[in-house]
Amino acid sequence: MGISRDKWHKRRKTGGRMNQMRKKRKFELGRPGSNTKLGPRRIHTVRTMGGNKKYRALRLDTGNFSWGSEAISRKTRMIDVMYNASNNELVRTKTLVKSCIVQIDATPFRQWYEAHYASPLGRKKGVKLTEAEEKVLNKMDNASKKLKKKYEARKKLAKVEPALEEQFSASRVLAKISSRPGQCGRCDGYILEGKELEFYLRKLKTKKGK
Amino acid sequence: MNKKENLLSTKGKKNLRHFKNVGLGFKTPREAMEGHYIDKKCPFTGNISIRGRILTGTVIKMKMQRTIVIRRDYLHYVKKYNRFEKRHKNMSVHLSPCFRDVQLGDIVTVGECRPLSKTVRYNTLKVMKSGGSKKSFSKF
Repeated sequence: MGISRDKWHKRRKTGGRMNQMRKKRKFELGRPGSNTKLGPRRIHTVRTMGGNKKYRALRLDTGNFSWGSEAISRKTRMIDVMYNASNNELVRTKTLVKSCIVQIDATPFRQWYEAHYASPLGRKKGVKLTEAEEKVLNKMDNASKKLKKKYEARKKLAKVEPALEEQFSASRVLAKISSRPGQCGRCDGYILEGKELEFYLRKLKTKKGK
Repeated sequence: MNKKENLLSTKGKKNLRHFKNVGLGFKTPREAMEGHYIDKKCPFTGNISIRGRILTGTVIKMKMQRTIVIRRDYLHYVKKYNRFEKRHKNMSVHLSPCFRDVQLGDIVTVGECRPLSKTVRYNTLKVMKSGGSKKSFSKF
């Protein structure tokens, strides 16, 4: 128990030193960071104060990511760590922390979009699609009138912002981790959109430029 | 925040500033609603809830970044002599950038919030200009 989270080692507001009143106690303990990396899943459980559990993720590769504007979540593979606001070293060593930007595999989201709106998303021109995908996109051909009406109504809201659509064409979407992998053992997050996406794209560009 | 209509339509329109009403009858200043500052510890535009005690004090120092020192005067009763004595306590308090014209000596209303730093647990909610009185004793 070397790391301690006590207050009595610090000075007072007036600047005066505090005399040590007691030794380090167990309830003041701190544990070393998890530094969870990108890789095949490895999670250790820790027994915490009160007998509760914390799931220390040491290696993770999948997470549950949500697409805010469409209000859906899908479990996807994480491919690479792109940006970390605190430390470039964490990007280099591919460390997963809350609020780092990762690239995730976009196929589950594309599959959902094409099934929900029956229109292609991020498909390059001239690339042939497999039979299953063709069936999903063209299901409107043999549909009943009522079904067609439903999908026509959905088509009104089917537009995706251009910056995001570009990412879908490469099947790699940028997302931000919003869970704490060293505490809950999961790496969940949300797909970057709008101003946030613009901000991080700009940051990535200047980093690549350097 | 990432609602579809906002993503596709708002091309620099009102620019969707987040602000809230802190409750307890405090008016959120116009500068908070229309300004462009970013302060996560601002009670109106940041991630802070005001709950617990509401106190007042006068500003004595404004040298820190986004936080000020206020002085709270009070009288302490000494039973043996049946009289009062003056005492004061200084307090570090967060000052949001929405309060622009704050001078030394202004009377300030602060509300309790979660710890924002080692010594700051209160956040400025309202600033009342003082006439011109300096460091004289005034009970609230």
